[in-house]
Amino acid sequence: MDESREKFEKEVAAHPFLLGMNEQHVRLLADCAMHSHFHTHDIIFREGEPANRFYLIVRGKVRLESSTLGESVPIDEIHDGDLLGWSWLFPPYAWHFTARALEETDAIFFYGTILREYCERDHSLGFELFKRMSAVMLRRLQAARQKLMTARQIGNR
Amino acid sequence: MEVNFSQEWESVERELLQTANMEATVQTNAELAAHPFLSEMSPHHLEVLATAASPKQFAKGEIIFRAGKPANGFYLIEKGAVAIEGSVFEHGAISTDCIHAGEPLGWSWLFPPYLWHYDARAVEPTTALFFDGEILRELCKDDLTLGHELFRRMSQVMVRRLQASRARLIEALK
Repeated sequence: MDESREKFEKEVAAHPFLLGMNEQHVRLLADCAMHSHFHTHDIIFREGEPANRFYLIVRGKVRLESSTLGESVPIDEIHDGDLLGWSWLFPPYAWHFTARALEETDAIFFYGTILREYCERDHSLGFELFKRMSAVMLRRLQAARQKLMTARQIGNR
Repeated sequence: MEVNFSQEWESVERELLQTANMEATVQTNAELAAHPFLSEMSPHHLEVLATAASPKQFAKGEIIFRAGKPANGFYLIEKGAVAIEGSVFEHGAISTDCIHAGEPLGWSWLFPPYLWHYDARAVEPTTALFFDGEILRELCKDDLTLGHELFRRMSQVMVRRLQASRARLIEALK
């Protein structure tokens, strides 16, 4: 195997989101991945546009924003070691929010459309990925509900 | 003779029990197949899932689970509605979400610390299927396709609820 490829696979395997993944799965993941870099203020993806990918943030900070109210409202922040983007998983395969880099950000890009096919062919990969993603989803769901309850409580006062 | 008679009776009893169990199983299978969360699951997987399922009923106002208590499984709501309630500071319960018929309820059984994060309260008379988490975890380990199917469906619901919560948050911040 060529050296840079081997190094990249190691990087993929070392990302906190993928820790403990088996070698064969890491290889499949690395197969549809590459490095990407975003400058401060860069838009990573835009609300409403087709979602065909996701990112694992290696270093940096990303803000999710909504523009449903006309102006942009911050929704959440994604940091080092976290996963960004799941709209590629389910219909309508369109971004629900806009993601903007708040700092210089290094990430690993994954081509979701291919990965979805890999998961359909290899259910052990699909199971593993969905399990890990649902842990992140649940954490964010709980955080969003907490914020919502706090906002309502303040609103009721 | 007496011994034979009692043995025979036992075997009749056993048969009756088996028939009753089978009927209950057939009933559960049909319920599983009819639930939107499991639509298009393979008949084999429905049969496997039925081994972890039991029917439950809750009266209006009844607590289904309580924050901080061990989370040992999840529910598919068949009829009724359930409020998810949390508390902020010392202000008492605030509802964050309402789970309706056709939807799953409860994720905390999936991940450590395996404790409910919220209270769940039936706000209408509610019927549900309860799935034992421990059995499910074993079933998913043995059958990765089942695990993939279940987690894919659960992820989809989580994303939908996350998006709904964020949309409500945007509303609340207006």
